[in-house]
Amino acid sequence: MPAALTRPGLCRVEQIMGTAITLDLADDLPPATLGELADQVFAWMREVDARFSTYKTDSEVCRFDRGEVLLSEASADLRFVLEACADLWGVTDGFFDAYATGRLDPSGFVKGWAAQVASDRLLAAGAANHCVNAGGDVRVRGLSPSGEPWRIGIRHPWDAMSTCLVLTGTDLAVATSGVYERGRHVLDPRRGAPASGLRSVTVVGTDLGVADAYATAALAMGAPGLGWLDRLDDGHTHSVVTDDGRQYYSAAIPLTD
Amino acid sequence: MRRAFLAITGLAASTTALVVFKGSPSATPVAQNLPTAQPVNPSGPGTDPSAAPDAPGTDPEAGAPTPSTSAGAPVSPKPGKTTARPSGTKATTKPPSAPRTTKAPQSTTRRVTGNGFDNEYGYVQVQIVVSGTRIIEAVALSLPSGGESDIHSGDVSNRYDGKGGEVVQKQNANLNTVSGATETSNSYKQSLRSAIEQAF
Repeated sequence: MPAALTRPGLCRVEQIMGTAITLDLADDLPPATLGELADQVFAWMREVDARFSTYKTDSEVCRFDRGEVLLSEASADLRFVLEACADLWGVTDGFFDAYATGRLDPSGFVKGWAAQVASDRLLAAGAANHCVNAGGDVRVRGLSPSGEPWRIGIRHPWDAMSTCLVLTGTDLAVATSGVYERGRHVLDPRRGAPASGLRSVTVVGTDLGVADAYATAALAMGAPGLGWLDRLDDGHTHSVVTDDGRQYYSAAIPLTD
Repeated sequence: MRRAFLAITGLAASTTALVVFKGSPSATPVAQNLPTAQPVNPSGPGTDPSAAPDAPGTDPEAGAPTPSTSAGAPVSPKPGKTTARPSGTKATTKPPSAPRTTKAPQSTTRRVTGNGFDNEYGYVQVQIVVSGTRIIEAVALSLPSGGESDIHSGDVSNRYDGKGGEVVQKQNANLNTVSGATETSNSYKQSLRSAIEQAF
């Protein structure tokens, strides 16, 4: 038996929400159990995509936006997301704006939140050691398959094959918003124009939905977003790369040695 | 099959358009060649060949105007210009044969455009720059929300000047996962693959 080559757990990638979702289960559970847990995670992510995609005209978000679904008729998930987005709008001085494009688009929160919920469910189901990566938004818990804390690289904003910082931890939500993959898709809601000044913003916390929204908000703020992140005193840390290639990060960010 | 044929002919048309675009100006200005060479600079191997021909190519031209404007402008603008221009035209009439020969190997750098792919998020098209048998650059010509990678790819060398704050570093260590901006995964891969298939 090639025992040395095997690792406990399971790793699976699926293309959902227009991006790659990677699930790494590090618990040494029976294969059938692991497969079932993975099925549930990806079924949940597909459910979120069907409900919240702004690209699918029949999604609940689009129907709600067109007024075909009333708030009172909306699903519990949609109502939760709308409420969270409203809260985040306040906390971010209006820079996280689900209506920045003129129509409802909570994507800046939904992807991170969906991965966070998946991670919470895995923990509740007894899989305490796992990593969920939803298109670059990462939630890790426990230990990696090697039995050590998870190591999370932050992608180098000019070189897809490199990372510019490596974080480590056993309970981290790491969300990155950047302009290098999909262009300047984040709007400054106050000017209605694409945000500029920052090339990549990574926010580290314990709730991936909030971290995702913070990263999006700071990117929308541009250079002042760095100061805004610095002034956050709610346990979040950050790493920012500016358009002119400089990197700034919190002293408390969980770096590897 | 028909779609594939159409896509290929469309591609052929666009690549010939590119070739025509690239080919026609090559006879006249030296600078026209630079845009194709410039993106190579940040990656390294291109810096030497492009920098070397540039120096002899631009030095006579750039060297002449500077005296003409600095020395010639205040006192004698006309003689300054007349002396500068002939030297400039002489410089361009003679050296072009030399730059052309030195530039010729650079034209082994070619751009190949992949098929465009439509997905539910929009249109994605990738272009690669091939030098010999190496891909030295991949640029998204079209991304759903307005790609900027081709603008930024040329900026790398300019940005990495190391002045002031902490310049973004590269770190590679054994990683479990990577956090980054959301990719438009499938279409990009498909378009990139088609560009590679055409290039090799």
